[in-house]
Amino acid sequence: MKAQISTPIRRVDAKDKTSGAARYLADMSFEGMLYAKAVRSERPRAKILRIEVPRLPEGYTYVDASDIPAGGKNKIEMIKDDWPVFADKEVRFVGETLALIVGPDRGMLNRLCREVKVEYQDLEPALTIDEAESLKGGAIHGTDNLYADYNLRKGDPEEAFKKADRIIEDEISTGYQEHIYMEPQGVVARPEADGKLGVYFSGQCPFYVRHAVAGAMGVDEEMVRVQQAVTGGAFGGKEHYPDVISTSLAVAARKVGRPVGYFFDRVEDISYTPKRHPSRTTFRTAVDERGNVLAMDIDVKLNAGAYESCSMVVLQRAIFSVNSVYDIQNVKIRGRAFATNNVPSDAYRGFGAPQGLFAMEVHMSHLARTLGLSDLKYKSRHLIKKGGLTVTNGRIHEEVKLPEMIERIDEMSDYRRKVKEFKKGSWRGVGFSMFNHGSGFTGNGEQEIIRGVVKMRKRSDGLVDLLVSNVEMGQGLQTTFRKIAAMVLDLPVDQVVYNDPNTDLVPDSGPTCASRSIAIVGYLVQEAAKKLKARWGEEGEVLVEHRYAHPPRLHWDQEKLDGDAYPSYGWGINVIEVEVDPLTYEVETKGIWAIHDVGVAIDEKVVEGQVDGGIIQALGYGSLEKLEVKDGRFQQRTMADYTIPTSMDFPRIKSALVDNPYEYGPFGAKGAGELVFDGAAAAFADAVQMAIDRDISRIPVTPEYIMEVYEND
Amino acid sequence: MTKITFSVNGESRTIETDPLRRLLDVLREDLGLTGVKEGCAEGECGACSVIKDGLLVNSCMVPIGTCEGARIVTPEGLRETDRGRTIIDAYADSGAVQCGFCTPGMMMATEALLEKNSQPSEAEAREALSGNLCRCTGYDMIVEGVLKAAERGKGLW
Amino acid sequence: MVEAYRPSSLEEALKIRADKGALPFAGGTDLMVKYRYESGAVPEYPAPVIFLTHLEEIRKIYSQDGELHLGAGTSLAELMSHSEVPELLKEAVRTIAAPGLRNTATLAGNICNASPAADGVCALYALDSRVKLSSPRSSRELAIYEFITGPGKTELREDELLTEIIIPRDRSTTRLFRKVGTRKANALSKLSIAAAARLSGERVDEVRIALGAVAPTVLRSVELEKQIQGLSRAELSERLEHFVQSYEAMVQPIDDQRSTAVYRKKVAVNLLRQFLTSIAA
Repeated sequence: MKAQISTPIRRVDAKDKTSGAARYLADMSFEGMLYAKAVRSERPRAKILRIEVPRLPEGYTYVDASDIPAGGKNKIEMIKDDWPVFADKEVRFVGETLALIVGPDRGMLNRLCREVKVEYQDLEPALTIDEAESLKGGAIHGTDNLYADYNLRKGDPEEAFKKADRIIEDEISTGYQEHIYMEPQGVVARPEADGKLGVYFSGQCPFYVRHAVAGAMGVDEEMVRVQQAVTGGAFGGKEHYPDVISTSLAVAARKVGRPVGYFFDRVEDISYTPKRHPSRTTFRTAVDERGNVLAMDIDVKLNAGAYESCSMVVLQRAIFSVNSVYDIQNVKIRGRAFATNNVPSDAYRGFGAPQGLFAMEVHMSHLARTLGLSDLKYKSRHLIKKGGLTVTNGRIHEEVKLPEMIERIDEMSDYRRKVKEFKKGSWRGVGFSMFNHGSGFTGNGEQEIIRGVVKMRKRSDGLVDLLVSNVEMGQGLQTTFRKIAAMVLDLPVDQVVYNDPNTDLVPDSGPTCASRSIAIVGYLVQEAAKKLKARWGEEGEVLVEHRYAHPPRLHWDQEKLDGDAYPSYGWGINVIEVEVDPLTYEVETKGIWAIHDVGVAIDEKVVEGQVDGGIIQALGYGSLEKLEVKDGRFQQRTMADYTIPTSMDFPRIKSALVDNPYEYGPFGAKGAGELVFDGAAAAFADAVQMAIDRDISRIPVTPEYIMEVYEND
Repeated sequence: MTKITFSVNGESRTIETDPLRRLLDVLREDLGLTGVKEGCAEGECGACSVIKDGLLVNSCMVPIGTCEGARIVTPEGLRETDRGRTIIDAYADSGAVQCGFCTPGMMMATEALLEKNSQPSEAEAREALSGNLCRCTGYDMIVEGVLKAAERGKGLW
Repeated sequence: MVEAYRPSSLEEALKIRADKGALPFAGGTDLMVKYRYESGAVPEYPAPVIFLTHLEEIRKIYSQDGELHLGAGTSLAELMSHSEVPELLKEAVRTIAAPGLRNTATLAGNICNASPAADGVCALYALDSRVKLSSPRSSRELAIYEFITGPGKTELREDELLTEIIIPRDRSTTRLFRKVGTRKANALSKLSIAAAARLSGERVDEVRIALGAVAPTVLRSVELEKQIQGLSRAELSERLEHFVQSYEAMVQPIDDQRSTAVYRKKVAVNLLRQFLTSIAA
């Protein structure tokens, strides 16, 4: 039965956004604002020998590392702090910021930046995983180019390999992906009248920005006030990168004593801001005489780029996801994140999981193909169940509804019949993928690192202030958070006030990422609302707060990466049907079906919106979005050349939800925003495999790649 | 510098400016019409869509010098009309809006479509929106919004 | 900052072009991209600019002596909705960009931009089109393949404007336009083919084949077409692979950010074979 909360309501931000009334950062006005433009590295790896700055016209200012105030640091404090605010000794990637020029005219700034002459001593760059592994040009990071190197073990893989009837090897790789949030990156820094430094930004994590800016400026965090503006999409691309822009901009704003804004041009945004990590995963899989998997030996490598940022955590999620929904009894996994001289790889919807899940799902389909078995039957034999052991030796605590979901999606899509009807190699294919996604920070991060707090205040006018640091960035939080609070308090939704967060006014409930907003913070909202409800009769203003507590059944050892990697999982299945043109190898997608378990939908329409958008973004990743590097530069730098899906690329999606309430989620909800991205690329690849009767082993599955595998067979 | 007279949302405007400036910048900076968004600056994404002399155009591709005597409608103008209100409501009820950055441009493309074809098919709606990129919604709910606006707005177009 | 002119007549436009060496600016959809360099800044044009599309003299579409004349100022959208524009060209234009851009962009601008990947231009090659070039003193006509000499290079003289595109009546009985784009809509071409043939009974009376984005300019071989013309469909069928191979030898694509040379060649040949097969017995 559908929960009452799931019934859709109109999104609270819909009208203002459609009509153009909503004010994004570039729509706001800041009295006396100057613009900034970065002087960027033109080399992937070099020592900086000399920088010759042209004579600047009046009103223009050059800002570099020497302008960082005493007590501040030329480091951006993110998860790691290896990324400098301004490169001053060496450059590690094309586009790295050397300096900013600040002034009134954007055209003039661009010309002045081009006139800055930098003398470099070029070093040999390492751009690929292989080049990084072989330490081409010497180590970029440490002595081995490894930001992280993890080993996981489950069962007794060595012993199991001895019993193998057959060992099957496989290599799967995934490419870069650019976020293409429709609103490019933007930040404004302004010295405020009260002595604080104001930072206005488009992005996901106000307290990350505050922390980074305070660190670079050498001031207390309270001296930095961060205000999120209406944000035109983010997808992970505005998780850490606003820290990179804000720190240098803060230095500039202090120097000139005026507001300074930096609004990225799209070409600049595509060329120099972080991307999804490319990956390469190799499998050695031992099977018994019936083809059942006895053991796997898996090696995951990520191309992490020039600075570490959050790559360590992305790698964790990639390796924790690399058995997907399957219970493989004996597994050995090694995961490494390599330093290379590319734009740093960073957060992108799914955060390593899409790479791991894609690799495993495609590998499972390759096993079935190699063994001549039915794909779905073969996968079903290995499904994990409630109580099953994960690759980190944690337990699946919730009921796994995949068997029921398989039947539902088969009814919706007619998958089994189509598998029989479309012969292999008939240029028609239907693909199937299963996946899951842990909600919240990895391991005990919610407990040890974030410790999120939510506050709620009943005002004397009867309205309720919801005080959280999580942001609306398109995913519907303005609506869903209000719904949660309003339903507990039995109030109309419009009586709950939830403004775009300002770090002076809200507690730190953590960043807006990792599918944690609903599953983790939404629960805090619900619990805070319960506290407020209990005190509703009190006169005047009432303020309550609720702090995160780790569910007692979970255990985690961060040193050993052992235990329950995530508090809960969302689950999903995608089916995709295609037709491949035998003359051009272009793929026409004929049908898309999806079913998800997100616990309980806080709003079915909002979740369906996530499903639609996540799947199409994943189909872009899987089929269209080619991003190649040559000499350290991306070759696709415009929206014409980096092609995201249009309204005509894919047909209408048919999707369904199953209810599976989660004890520690608000009204039973789990995370949804990343889960919905996780499966479509594999289902697409699987469908193409069937259509051309060849293994597909990498994405994007472009017509060029299909031709290559078809012709070279 | 050239003096240019044109109409914006039904109001006559005269400005003196470099005729090679983009219509997009004039609308946003000189006239404060920030419902027109810049997403790519090269005619790919459609976030800056406006209607010029009855036709959908990307305002980042139009030098203001070509707008002498032109009639421009921006989201700020369209939203004050019955047609605009119908589209806005239909979008809201269809779940067509997420981050919202593409949405004003989508509304302009919807208006341009319905002006030519008041009862479009799904395929025609998809074609009409093909120059307006959206990264959040996967388009289905926007297409639904267009069809819903057409249905509810019978007689308006 | 460069000057921008908005002449009130074609005559005045031609004079400005001749006197100032001004850059002809039609729809501007190529130029605005080519010369832009920073969001919020005025594009950096290398010369003064003359706006043209408002000039009535070049906004007409009319037929004369069995040929269609497209004024250089007509937008892609306008020609798509004109009843006399050949279907092959309409099909090609329908695949260009998206509705908003097609309301602004012109075919004449595409021709002068001289990209080998311009879809409309590919169709114009297959339609035996010509361009009319006017200067203050005279005018001349060139076949489109004479006018475009290389990527971004044309025979346009410094005192000339392209004022009309002239398309002979298309009497073909079989046609193919196929664009292989970077995606299904709002896409740039990886390659394209525009082809037309006239069959009478069992004989191939006429054939015209243009391939886009597989060579420095759109590729058309009048010589090979002459060899095909006059053959019976059965003869063409017999010699089909010979012709395919002859075309294959001429197809010299490149690797770029949109596709690979190998793919372009293979697929161009596949589509060419498909077309020849469709007209052979």
